Parts: sequence; C-alpha cells; structure tokens
Amino acid sequence: MSSATWRQFFSFNKYSQITARAVRQSLKETERAAAEKRGLTALRYQNWENGKGGEQVYLNPPETPVGKGTPAV
Amino acid sequence: MAALRLIAQAARRAPRNVQVLRRGYADVSDKIGLSLVLPHQALFTSDEVVQVNIAAATGDMGILANHVPSIEPLRPGVVEVIETGNSQKWFVSGGFATVHPNNKLTINAVEAAPLEDFSLEAIRSNLAEAQKVAAGSGSEEDKMEARIEIDVYEALQHAVSSK
Repeated sequence: MSSATWRQFFSFNKYSQITARAVRQSLKETERAAAEKRGLTALRYQNWENGKGGEQVYLNPPETPVGKGTPAV
Repeated sequence: MAALRLIAQAARRAPRNVQVLRRGYADVSDKIGLSLVLPHQALFTSDEVVQVNIAAATGDMGILANHVPSIEPLRPGVVEVIETGNSQKWFVSGGFATVHPNNKLTINAVEAAPLEDFSLEAIRSNLAEAQKVAAGSGSEEDKMEARIEIDVYEALQHAVSSK
C-alpha cells in the first residue's frame, strides 16, 4: 500500500485479489497447485425478466468453449 | 537538645513515600488471544500468544496483551507470532488486524504462507516480469496492477531472503 494511487483504478477488493494472486504465484511448486485452485472464480449469471431467463454470461470466459451452454438446474 | 529538635524538624520536612502509579503495560505472563484466519484456513483460533508483529499500512507494529483497541489495514508483509518459547513468521498478502477491547486480536488475511513455502527464483522472475510491464506501454490500469505486484514481490524478496 505504499502508493495508494491504485485507488483511482481499483476497488479494495480488486487490490486484495491482485496481492493474493501475486503471493500465490510465488509459492514453491509443491504448494502452488493447491493454491492456484483458490484463485479460480467460476461464475455464470443470467438476468431474468417477466419469467424468462436471458443470456447466460460467464464472469470469466473459459479458454476452450465448453459446448452448448445448458443451465445447471 | 536543640540538635534533636533540628533533626526531628528535618525528618518531618522530608517527603513521604510518593504513591507509585501502577503502569498499565503487559508483563510477559500476560497473553493476547490471537485469531489469524484466512478464507480457506484458520491458522490460530483464539490462541494465547505473547506478541504479534504485523506489517500495518502505516508502519510495523508489535501488539502485546491489553493493547488499545484499533483497526489496522495490513500491507503485503510479514506477520510474526511470538509464543512462549518459539516464534513463527508468515507472509501475508493483505487484510486487516483488529484489536478488540477484551484483549483479543483478530487478523483477517486473504492469503498467507510460512516463509519456507516460497521460492526465491519464482519471486525474482515474477518481479522481473512485473517491472517489465510497469515500464512498458500498456494501459495505466495494467501498469498500476504491475506496480502493486512489484510492491508485493519486493516485500516477499526482502522477507524470504532475510528470513
């Protein structure tokens, strides 16, 4: 937090995630595998209006296409 | 006779013992209840420790028993926990340290690992990469992100190499 100029670009949450990711990437190889999983955010969301669901949007688009997107439920 | 009277008067004029105020600092026998928790793991849960050194955003602090209640944001740095007989260090990516009025200290951190779990080569190469991005021609956001990472890697490098 030496230069708090990041505040004009990021929220505190984003700043925390950046520092956490930096720490995870500096671990030894043996620890890193378990730690990288913690950095993964897999989220899909969908807006509903008048009883109809809209398009399902990935928060972090997967690199490889997953196939036809079917709702989990 | 006159001499005796003189001595008696002098004795009366001598100051009585002043009441010594009891200092409110902690003794080594006093401990503080530390809870050092990460989202995925609880390193300490209300465990009695002697002293905790934290890297607060406003500077390094040592927290003993009966510390005044305060809330301190942490910068990426080392948290050292000193118990009777041994001390351990963790590198913490950031979070908050809260001293409660009932002699309890809660440290919430996002990521933390013992200093032994870090690899100096990884830190050095990450630092070099981040410095490249920060000096490069990307967007201001990317450069700021790289600058944050540089802060973390430099603190990590300093902590791990000086253990």
